[in-house]
Amino acid sequence: MKIKLLCLVIFFNFSVYATSNEILNESQIHKNLRCLVCQGQSIADSNSDFAQTLKMVVKDLIKQGKTEDEIYNFLSEKYGDWILYKPKFNYENFLLWSFPYLVLVFGGFIIVFLIKRRQKKT
Amino acid sequence: MLSNTGNFLLSLNIFLSALIIYYSYNNLKTSDNLISKKVFKISILQSTSILICFFTLVSAFLVSDFSLITVYQNSHSLKPIFYKISGTWGNHEGSLLLWVIILTLFSFLFLIYNRKHPKNYRLYTLIIQNFLILGFLFFILLNSNPFSFISPPPSEGLGLNPILQDPALAIHPPLLYVGFVGSSIYFSAAIASMITNYSDKSFAKSIKSWVLISWSFQTLGILVGSIWAYYELGWGGFWFWDPVENASLLPWFAMTALLHSLLVLERRNVLYFWSIILCLLTFVLSVMGTFLVRSGILNSVHTFANDPTRGIYILVFLSLMILVSVYILFSKYKPASIEINSNSKETFVLVNNWFMLFYLITVLLGTLYPIFTDAISNNKISVGPPFYNSVIIPVVVIFLFFMAIGPNAKWIKNKFIDLKIYSFIILAAIFFNFIIFFFFKSYSIISNLIVISSLFLILSSIMDLFKKINFNFPRVISHLSFGFLILFIGLNHNFSIEKDFNLKIGETKQIDNFKFHLKDLKLIQDTNYKAVVGSLKVNDLLTKEERVLKPEIRIYDNPQTLTYEASIQTNFIRDYYLTMSNIDRSDYYNIKFQKKPLMIWIWISVAMLSLGGFLSLFRHAKNN
Repeated sequence: MKIKLLCLVIFFNFSVYATSNEILNESQIHKNLRCLVCQGQSIADSNSDFAQTLKMVVKDLIKQGKTEDEIYNFLSEKYGDWILYKPKFNYENFLLWSFPYLVLVFGGFIIVFLIKRRQKKT
Repeated sequence: MLSNTGNFLLSLNIFLSALIIYYSYNNLKTSDNLISKKVFKISILQSTSILICFFTLVSAFLVSDFSLITVYQNSHSLKPIFYKISGTWGNHEGSLLLWVIILTLFSFLFLIYNRKHPKNYRLYTLIIQNFLILGFLFFILLNSNPFSFISPPPSEGLGLNPILQDPALAIHPPLLYVGFVGSSIYFSAAIASMITNYSDKSFAKSIKSWVLISWSFQTLGILVGSIWAYYELGWGGFWFWDPVENASLLPWFAMTALLHSLLVLERRNVLYFWSIILCLLTFVLSVMGTFLVRSGILNSVHTFANDPTRGIYILVFLSLMILVSVYILFSKYKPASIEINSNSKETFVLVNNWFMLFYLITVLLGTLYPIFTDAISNNKISVGPPFYNSVIIPVVVIFLFFMAIGPNAKWIKNKFIDLKIYSFIILAAIFFNFIIFFFFKSYSIISNLIVISSLFLILSSIMDLFKKINFNFPRVISHLSFGFLILFIGLNHNFSIEKDFNLKIGETKQIDNFKFHLKDLKLIQDTNYKAVVGSLKVNDLLTKEERVLKPEIRIYDNPQTLTYEASIQTNFIRDYYLTMSNIDRSDYYNIKFQKKPLMIWIWISVAMLSLGGFLSLFRHAKNN
């Protein structure tokens, strides 16, 4: 009974949020773009001319109906991958994206292995 | 004159370190159970002379002796006294001297505070620590000497970078250094323990205090650095996953893992080699962080000192350290039978280590990956906040649940996990999450999970506060404040409001529920800068709150720099954060306004986290 109630509440919790879909968020995109003339800042955080210009460009691209990924592709073709704070998921960055999770899975296996070995003995 | 004194003292320290190594080595073979008096005496002398050496440099900064290059480059006679002093370690050369001081003091303190432990173990620790000291002293003397002089001496210095002229940043380096340089002592102790086969519970006891000290200070150091970044860098954030920030976080992960695995070693005498690896790893990561920061190999906000030759020296030193420790580790390694039950405290500690290692590797990989892609394919990539957030945050959710349940498990074998209580707690957590949701409106699913899991940790830690048996107050404080930390970061991240607009004097603008009015601008003159101070009235139409914020545009004289000072108005519910910048060829000013909920609680949580470490230290010291 309690478990059922628990499942119900959890399910209800997330069905509420699933309906609140996110729209294309401009400032979210700004935060992912490096201000190339600054030191370690995104264009959302910078006041430089470059940042101001790039914000206009992003606004324009959104107006043209481009998706988030299309905007990133457009900008990285122009300025290089250096401009994106979230590296693309491609061949080159495959290791970057997957290795942490490999470690996570591997670590989990080790712990399970240690426990299993103990269980066999007893 | 000061240059000669300084150089003499540095050379003296090299001599004393060599002497300590020599006498300690001789002392190893004697049958006597006590460490020879000579070693103690030279250690005292060594600590004293390195402190005098440091004060020589401080006094050079105080009297503005510009015949020293370091002083010339980083100070100015008109600078306030406080920043003259903090300028001593606000540069590469001076901060390395701080390194050596901490190495030396920890070496001395470890020697006198571990009388209960075997002689040879203590002597080997001393020997290895002094090799580290020698390495850094030679680095200072040959490459980064703070006492190098120019002749003829210039009449005026170049001044300290204005964004470093700040109280938080003045204490940031010493705190952080006690943290990660302090980890050197258990690096040395770990090697000594392997050499002397001193590998049981008492080894864990001998280093526990030092791990706690360095962990607590590291936490405080990171906190102060974040606070500084928050109000000084002018973008309203406090953590940017910048390479230099990462460099301070990496040893912290390793220390946290070590702190937990030592619990197991202390109680059950297992996980010895694993703890050793973590000891070694912590200091290796600290030195590596220094290498990354000082060599200028990474592009970062903080690269205040970079020069390739420094990089090469530290890299060689680092490689030697790794080689030696790995060699000793392999030659001494004995496979131990680790026997743990699935439901026991040991397992949960391993789970902690498992997650810490995941965070560590993620951050390490993210920090180093751009170097690899640049070297291999000449393609420069950036790895920034969106990467870390999307890889780490989902895992934190699971981690927090373990963190809540783990501490209540018993050693060796737990009977069962009390499902009734935990399902009650999770219901309560979801309930509170709903309240927050209605209060603040929408947020994403992952934020929901973060809020629920951190509430779960908070609620179960609060329940632990009322437990009679197995009550460990420092632990509860740290776990509780970590829960709060994640909760407040989550809420702050999701519910910050940002407005970006242009205003001119006398103009009023209304954006959503906020009304802004730029009353006037004043010109003020301080000792070392001029500033334009704006008076900006902010009206929150919902809460009927009215505040006047005073952002500044500062023009520092020495060196000539323009900085934007945020105006921050803090209370327990929210921060108002406002920066103003001039727009070229226009009488408009660009205003960035942020309302950041619960900001101060993030700082309080981290301070409490660190407090947990200190409390645990006192508890350990009292019991031993």
